[in-house]
Amino acid sequence: MIELLMTVLSTTFFVTVVRTTTPLLLATLGGLIADLGGALNVALEGMMLVGCLTAVIVSVFAPWYVAVLAAVLAGALLGGVMAFFHLRLKADIILVGFAINILAAGGTVFALTLATGGDKGTSINLTSKAVPALDLSFLGVIPGIGDFLVRMLSGHSILSWLAAFLVFAIWYFLYRTPWGLWLRGVGEYPAAPEAAGIPVNAIRTWSLLVSGGLAALGGAQLAMFNYIGFTRDMTAGRGFIALGAVLLGARHPVGALLAALLFGVFEALAVVMPGLFNWIPAELIRMIPFVVTILALFLFSYRALQARRLRSAGH
Amino acid sequence: MSMTTQAELSRRDRLKTIRREAGRALGAALIALGIAFIIVLFTSKAPLEAFNVLLTAPMSRPRTIGLWIDDVAKLTITGLAFSLVFQARQFSMGVQGQVYVGALAAAYVALSPIGATWAGLPVGVFCAMLAGAFWGFIPGIAKVKFGANEIVSSLMLNYIAIELCNFLVRTNLPKPQPGVLTTNNFPETAVFPPLVDGTRIDLGLIFALVAVLAVWFALYRTSWGLKLRLVGHNANFAEYAGIRSTAIMVSAMTAAGALGGLLGSMFVQGQTYGYLTVLFEGNLAFEGILVAIVARSRPLAVPVVALFYGYLRQGAQLMNLRTDVPSEVIGVVTAIIILLVASSFSMPGRQFWARIMGRSAAAPALEAQK
Repeated sequence: MIELLMTVLSTTFFVTVVRTTTPLLLATLGGLIADLGGALNVALEGMMLVGCLTAVIVSVFAPWYVAVLAAVLAGALLGGVMAFFHLRLKADIILVGFAINILAAGGTVFALTLATGGDKGTSINLTSKAVPALDLSFLGVIPGIGDFLVRMLSGHSILSWLAAFLVFAIWYFLYRTPWGLWLRGVGEYPAAPEAAGIPVNAIRTWSLLVSGGLAALGGAQLAMFNYIGFTRDMTAGRGFIALGAVLLGARHPVGALLAALLFGVFEALAVVMPGLFNWIPAELIRMIPFVVTILALFLFSYRALQARRLRSAGH
Repeated sequence: MSMTTQAELSRRDRLKTIRREAGRALGAALIALGIAFIIVLFTSKAPLEAFNVLLTAPMSRPRTIGLWIDDVAKLTITGLAFSLVFQARQFSMGVQGQVYVGALAAAYVALSPIGATWAGLPVGVFCAMLAGAFWGFIPGIAKVKFGANEIVSSLMLNYIAIELCNFLVRTNLPKPQPGVLTTNNFPETAVFPPLVDGTRIDLGLIFALVAVLAVWFALYRTSWGLKLRLVGHNANFAEYAGIRSTAIMVSAMTAAGALGGLLGSMFVQGQTYGYLTVLFEGNLAFEGILVAIVARSRPLAVPVVALFYGYLRQGAQLMNLRTDVPSEVIGVVTAIIILLVASSFSMPGRQFWARIMGRSAAAPALEAQK
């Protein structure tokens, strides 16, 4: 138990948490944008997966930032497909989302086979690149806390910093710009913005495009930093966990950050625990993120339900 | 209007609906296969051969026909499970997890002393259904008691069930030698007898047909089914009419869970395995989404759709073995079919193209036609 405590309080654990949280956070922000626009995006998982593969394959031929951009565009394209079938052709958004997941699960393995010339499992024989880590070792000159700051802040993926910035940017967009107000209005009560002449469908389309792009950005982090390379189904439910984080995050970017962080911490625990407690079966450790997600979902949903009841009783 | 003409009219109406829906489904399948063909054309060295295998191989030998029919029975069950929850407008995605816990329950029974008696088969099936029902009940009760979204909770339960199965097979269940990830073979009394010798067609097919009739009867000939369909149509209205919609939702998810559990026992107690192993399900459970959507969640249409889709699935497996095209290409076909059938796409393409082009002038005319 002492070892676990020591590990959790160490700076290396903090670095692990940032690493595991980043893909979740990016996907959660994507889910948040779609949710605010009135669409529960169950395709986060598939979009992340496509982001992973696109990033890996493009990075073989191009610099890392081109690969990341390509992943974002691929995710946005999937968001566009969702928007087209949901808004134009009036298909149920949940069914469209699962169709995207099926497309991604099969399509990525198919594309991987083509890219590797027959390997259906991993991209191990492709030399893909990594997202560089941001080196902040110059902070070490600060007397006293310099060393600590370097260990905490240096060496994170550039995308982690981008994700942290995006939390602020999305907050600013939602609460300080007219388009943010429109987006929230569209999700809350579409008839009102419609009557006010706001292009409801265009806003929803944009929200799904951005949602796909963000989820795929999370995939890029996963396949170009957390792991280098693609393995089939490598997202392993992270998109669905992010969907849980969206529901937990109380429709607010800071809430999304906290929820993603909660799941990120437990995923990081699952990363460090096999080394500490080799008597705990690996299957049970792998189960942790899912058990935590479902328990958190039950707990937070219950609290939200009670808050709603109290409010309606007060009226 | 006299009774006979009215019955005649409703019959004709129903036939028209069936024709229209079948046309839409076939149209969607043709478009999806066309797109798949284009993909194969650009990526395969022998595209025509690959497509030939996809479309003809399942019929070629008794053994492959057996594989196909076995798949049809399983697809029917998962299609029924999804149909039940879709009809109640719940999006519980937990069939996969129910399959794993069902298989675990069946394995524990089959490898216990009961398994070696005549009761091994029925008790195994029953316990599997019970375990699946419990796994389906959790997201349902969590939804009505806590307001927890059933999509997320059922998906989490899938992953938990898979790891649970991995864990118990590795550590707890009896196995032939240490280190392998399969259990001992079940005693013969706990394994479904084959219906056709030398194939995988077994008692599971009978279970599937009985399940079709049972679900049809429950949905269309009982008051529970009427309430369930009302809740699916409009939960508020159903509540207003005095139906406890929450109880209906939970019971629909629990019943679907029992079907998922049954599917689990069909896997491990069937001729295919006869033992429990890790990750045995091969992503079949989620194919129920396609089957249910194309069948419009109608239980009697489910086996028909399963027959066609099972053929395609089997063809893809054989194409994977015999040519350079991986079976995963079928995921593209599946996704396109779901997208087209779930949307307002219709075969005579005029309205469809009008929608695509976003000609809003066409929209009011369309509404008026309805």
